[in-house]
Amino acid sequence: MRSLKRVIVDSAPRFARVGLCALGLVAASACRHQVTLEELPPEQIETTLFLIGDAGEPDPRQVGPPLDSLTAQAAAAPERSIIYFLGDNIYPAGIPQEGAAEWADARRRIEAQVRAIPAGAQGIFVPGNHDWANSGPFGLYAIRLQEQFIASLARGRNIRLLPSNGCPGPVSIDVGRLRLVSLDTQWWLHSFIVRDSVSSCPTNTVGAVTSALREQVRPPGDARIVVVGAHHPLITGGEHGSYCGVTGPFRRFGGRSQDIMSSSNRSMRDSLRSAFRGRPPLMFVAGHDHSLQVLRGGDEVDYLLVSGAGAPSKVSCAVRLRESYYVSARSAGFMRVDIMKGKGVLLRVFRYPGRSTGALVYSRWLEPR
Amino acid sequence: MIRIALLLATLLCFPNLAVTQVVPEPIRPTEATPIGALPPIALPMPASRDDNYWGVRLQIGQRRERGLEDLLAVAGGIDYQVRGGSIFGVTGGYQWRQNCQTPGDCGHSLYGARARFNLITAGPTIAGLLGDDGATSTLGTELGFGYAPDVNLGENACTLDLGVPLSIAMLERLHLVGFVTPGVVWELDCSAGDTRPERSYLLGFGLGLQQLGFRGLDVHVGVQRIFRGATGVQFGVSVSWIRLP
Repeated sequence: MRSLKRVIVDSAPRFARVGLCALGLVAASACRHQVTLEELPPEQIETTLFLIGDAGEPDPRQVGPPLDSLTAQAAAAPERSIIYFLGDNIYPAGIPQEGAAEWADARRRIEAQVRAIPAGAQGIFVPGNHDWANSGPFGLYAIRLQEQFIASLARGRNIRLLPSNGCPGPVSIDVGRLRLVSLDTQWWLHSFIVRDSVSSCPTNTVGAVTSALREQVRPPGDARIVVVGAHHPLITGGEHGSYCGVTGPFRRFGGRSQDIMSSSNRSMRDSLRSAFRGRPPLMFVAGHDHSLQVLRGGDEVDYLLVSGAGAPSKVSCAVRLRESYYVSARSAGFMRVDIMKGKGVLLRVFRYPGRSTGALVYSRWLEPR
Repeated sequence: MIRIALLLATLLCFPNLAVTQVVPEPIRPTEATPIGALPPIALPMPASRDDNYWGVRLQIGQRRERGLEDLLAVAGGIDYQVRGGSIFGVTGGYQWRQNCQTPGDCGHSLYGARARFNLITAGPTIAGLLGDDGATSTLGTELGFGYAPDVNLGENACTLDLGVPLSIAMLERLHLVGFVTPGVVWELDCSAGDTRPERSYLLGFGLGLQQLGFRGLDVHVGVQRIFRGATGVQFGVSVSWIRLP
């Protein structure tokens, strides 16, 4: 026993020194995540899903990045492109009542995004809390007005607001191997009227939405790539996760339904996760926090994507969590998901302004090829 | 960034040679309890707000350049991280006098409890200047209590400490965290001896690697200086693991 103690006492400093050196050298050799630009054969790509959120404050003078870059990429193969706007399409409070001073500018904001969808591409807008009149009493009507705006601006093209008519969803779209399930999560969190005599929603209660979602994320067969999209994230390292700034730790006490730590938000996320249990979707994609985050989902969903950096004027902070694969804060950008024919799903993250190596800052095969 | 890391690695690998004194120094309460016996460690990495997490920690630290005797401490701990943020932990371990000059008084156990609150967890305010826009800065505060019985021939050591740690985590693939842990320690009178309660300031700093190989596994190396008397320099390694769902 005594000799063992002697050995420990004598050798511990040596181990500590070796540990110090090793850690230091590893740290010295550490490098930034290397992104290799993988050129995918276009003929092998089945569907390309562009994810951009919180884009409702475009520059009134010019169409800059990331919208113009997204348009250019989608225009390369519009027939297989879906541009998915992840809510907060019109800041600060959606479409106001006609006659309001903000009406024309609200129209401009949504028009800039509709114009960013190249001819032949499909566009889907998901509602966010700001689209619901900034969580206000006019919310349900603001959503309906936005749906009408989008329909009129689309001029017959395949561009729409989903779920429609202020309904909670879920609404599924099948495109090749992709099943895209859209939810209106603000419906869950809204404190004012969420249905009226003209609603006619297929699901009207939290239980019914959860049950329908459980069915829709279980398509027959194993080959489907299930992506669930909504405005509010399941996990975030941004402001709505009670991070960032001096008020961050105290937001939990505010009980704001828009924040991860509020009980109503938690309740909604628990319901969504329960619907995924047993058959996890590949991705849950959201916006809400104005950053770009790729996170590990856990048992109920494989990957969580937060792509809410669609407006350069709105970008904000995000921190790296233990669940984070990639985080980009304070930069505008979007994500691109290429679903390959047969097998393989590649995620790429584009950030503006880009690095010296370009706007592509992160890539990952979500489903191995 | 690489230059800074190389510089720190060099400093850690080649510390100054010992300044030898001729009389063994009594162990101060601050040196005997976990705050001074064990190496500093970075604030916990944030995690999902949906869960609380249990974790374990192993720390080994050596206090050198304090005279004839160096001090070596090994300790284990259990931590509890609340909703992915602040962390509460208890520690138990043992400290040896190396080159022990006082037979019969060559070691003692040590115990501690510590709360570390993440006050501000924010983005790349500082690290962004170095070009990493995914970096995370965490400013917190910590409060600890330490106890070590029978330190200097029957004297007990008790300390209360307050610190303002700052951590900056950087890089995408290899999560490197640099941290600094300034603080103040009050040596409390918890012994029948004639120890006079005193206040000391201390400064720790170090580097760590978060999520090293496994999610939840962190390794830190730390250096600490107590600004009082011949207390030398503490350096050591901490390995912690948080159990994630």
